[in-house]
Amino acid sequence: MQRPFATARVVEGARVRAVPVGPAEAAPDGIGFADGIQRWGIEGHFGLVPVARGQIAAGVLVRAGGALRAAVRLEEEFLVVPADRLGARERAAISGVGLPVYDADGESRPHPYLDRWAVAQVVERRREALEREACRAFLDARPEAMLVVDGGLAGLRHLPGAARAIGIAKRHETQFLDGPELEVALTLPAGSRSSVFARELDDGTVLLSWYLRLWPWTDEDLLHGLTRVERIAGDGVVEDADRVSRWLLAERAPIAGRDSRWDRLLYPLHEVETALRAQAGGWL
Amino acid sequence: MTAAPQDPIGRVVATEALPASPHQFHFWTAVEAPVGIGAIVRVDGTTRTVYAVVTDGRAYSDLLTPLHEVVASEGNPAAPLPPSRRAEIRLWTAAVLRQDPPEPMQPVPLAAVHLADAADVEVALRMDAFARGDERTAIPIGLYAAGGTRAPVFVDADFLLGPESAHLGISGVSGLATKTSAVLFFLSAIFQHFPKRKGSVAAVCLNVKGPDLAFLDLPSDLPPEDAAMYAELDIRPEPFSQVRYFAPFKPDGVNLNTLRTHPALVDAVEPLVWGLREVLDYAEVLLNRDDIDAKADAFLDFLADRVVGRPFQDEWGNHHLVESFAGLEGLFRAIFDGLEQAGGREMWRTHHVATIRKVRNRLMNVSTRCKGLVTDEASGNDLPFGAFADRTVYVVDVAGLDQLGQDLVFTRVVSKLREHLERRDLGVDNVVVFVDELNKYAPADGPETYVRKMLLDISERGRYLGLVLFGAQQFRSQVHRRVVGNAGTTVYGRMDGDELATPGYQTLSPAIKSKLATLPKGELMIRHPHFTQPVFLRFPRPAALAGRQGIERYPPAADVPFTDAIVRQLSVLDRRVAPQRVKDLIAGRREDDVRRALLATRRARPADVLAFFTARLGRAVVRDVPAEGGPAVTPLRTVEDPYAPA
Repeated sequence: MQRPFATARVVEGARVRAVPVGPAEAAPDGIGFADGIQRWGIEGHFGLVPVARGQIAAGVLVRAGGALRAAVRLEEEFLVVPADRLGARERAAISGVGLPVYDADGESRPHPYLDRWAVAQVVERRREALEREACRAFLDARPEAMLVVDGGLAGLRHLPGAARAIGIAKRHETQFLDGPELEVALTLPAGSRSSVFARELDDGTVLLSWYLRLWPWTDEDLLHGLTRVERIAGDGVVEDADRVSRWLLAERAPIAGRDSRWDRLLYPLHEVETALRAQAGGWL
Repeated sequence: MTAAPQDPIGRVVATEALPASPHQFHFWTAVEAPVGIGAIVRVDGTTRTVYAVVTDGRAYSDLLTPLHEVVASEGNPAAPLPPSRRAEIRLWTAAVLRQDPPEPMQPVPLAAVHLADAADVEVALRMDAFARGDERTAIPIGLYAAGGTRAPVFVDADFLLGPESAHLGISGVSGLATKTSAVLFFLSAIFQHFPKRKGSVAAVCLNVKGPDLAFLDLPSDLPPEDAAMYAELDIRPEPFSQVRYFAPFKPDGVNLNTLRTHPALVDAVEPLVWGLREVLDYAEVLLNRDDIDAKADAFLDFLADRVVGRPFQDEWGNHHLVESFAGLEGLFRAIFDGLEQAGGREMWRTHHVATIRKVRNRLMNVSTRCKGLVTDEASGNDLPFGAFADRTVYVVDVAGLDQLGQDLVFTRVVSKLREHLERRDLGVDNVVVFVDELNKYAPADGPETYVRKMLLDISERGRYLGLVLFGAQQFRSQVHRRVVGNAGTTVYGRMDGDELATPGYQTLSPAIKSKLATLPKGELMIRHPHFTQPVFLRFPRPAALAGRQGIERYPPAADVPFTDAIVRQLSVLDRRVAPQRVKDLIAGRREDDVRRALLATRRARPADVLAFFTARLGRAVVRDVPAEGGPAVTPLRTVEDPYAPA
């Protein structure tokens, strides 16, 4: 499980404050929106050893004239097994299926719950990798375009063009601020952002973040309408925070009303997911 | 996005709630797809091809509730448009026109959907069965134009003019449905494309209002797009080359009761004048409004069989030769006088005096109300029954007559056509009778009338005779259902919303009804036995001059004085007739005598018109005026007449 706390330093001003970003402003045409989907299920067992089938997809929609069109779509189907618990005959049978096989590096002893958890980890890592490939394809193909990504940017930090990516974190499992600064961040009024703060990854990459309140939280949960915007540190990123925030404010409409996370989920990202699920078809 | 013709424009979708069936299916398209209500599409399955017509369409987005839009706009309808458009679907419903192979009949495959091209339209509407080869019976009736495809649409002559089915009904609101224009275009198409091997065909058009049909022999100014449609339909854009106009006189007996009286055109109008015999044969028309009974019927039969046109002697020794209304009135007077002198007897030859009075008043009423149509002569001037010509239009202008006169003309003309067609001696093998305001003649409600009975008979049996009814009406629901039901081909123009709400339209989808309620001029929806679903068509303006334009170009002439009218009519018969000579000839003569002579001359069409006219006019008789204070004539005792006109 991810650690619920992390450290960060404010890079915009001396301390975290609420910054009204101004009226919403549509992002320029050509902006992309990236997301991915995953699903998996246990297909069978060799004795107590589970054989899981995973299906993942990642895509980017590009917007022009208000219309969202597919720019990138990748998908993969594979099997996941704890390879070291299979004999040669079972491995041969698995290979005969014709799908890529990934090792669920779980416990050496059978444990149904942990086995499933191990499969889920593999599927999630594969999905993240595929999303990364989709983003790479988009950023390579459109050298001027900005790309809004569902989630943080840590996984994309080495991509060429990652500086044009804007990560949108909807979940706030990890808190980077504390004390009065956290209170400022979590009680932002709608249409305001927090000051920009930086966190450093293990490899020295610096990611810049700020919180942005899309919808009023009064009478709601503290996290209602609250997103965390993330960018790779670079020249002008801090100065550009208001403009990017105004773009994101404009994305409040349309509302992705079919998703319970509609207060934080941008409609184009929801559309990526919808399109990928529709194209993936049924799951028997 | 524009799809190439061969590219699919959609795909069939089926869910448990919206399944595909053998007769209906649903498909989605891109928002920009050039599909609309009435478009014909083709579904290419692996083992079958399905042709269908789009009958309904829906669009929706992924919006869960309208409240989300309100929230997103923060309650401000004027808020800027969102940067992203919602995902939107165009979901269409199509009704199957044809499946290939037809058996086994199966649900429509969940396959790609294409817009129909011209070849597809021919197959979809089953026109390949009658629009090809030596036995071709196709008559172009309009242009299918949808989804970038333009294709001529044909109806089968065997199903339009018989014998398989026949008749055509066209409905729509006045002024917008272009019913008359459509029928004139259909007649042009029939005249040019009805196969010669199927025999000859003529049309009788009853002009019941205005100048609609008064200029069919004159060309209209066709816009280029209409001329192009004629070319696509392989119809020459020409007015009718052979048209004969008939109109009764006005009550003055000399001026024609029509709007085609411009000096340049009036010569082509022939008077429609009937004598006693012509009227008496259809006297039931006059009696069936509120007082038809067996007794009156019997007395009429007696007059027709035993009296009119043959010597007849009454019980009081009077000899009668009844050939005109005047002669008939003489007979009635003799009967009433005789009964009076016999002490007020109430029966004459088994007929009650009240019945005799009723019949007398109805018949004499005709000569008054239809003066101009009915003459006091034994016979008049009629349509050329027995000498009808192929591809000729006979226009009978009854617009100036009252309802009774129109009923009489309609009944007699149609009945005579039927009689001659039964005997196969009309002169043509098929006749199209075009009647506007059919709801007036064959109403769905109201008392049984002779006219309606006759129309029902034609509707049900006319196709065997070659007697075909083209009826137009504003409200189809107000026409007798047997007349409507027997029309093999039904055409709809712009329809009234209330009319579309009546049960007769319940098989149409709401979208089709909506389209019908907003149909532009020049577009129609047609049902035909070969088409399993209604199809929307376009048709060009008629190549003949429309009534309104005709009136502007050829304004009707004012009525001329009696003398001038006689001169003009004789001049039509013979250009050499000297006007002054005629004026001298008729000066001081009784107008009835002059009319009688003119009618006889017109009927005879002699080589020397003036000589014939002079002879028929006879010598002037000096009126013997009794001196004042002469012997008084004792008037007859007045007998109360319960049937006298109010």
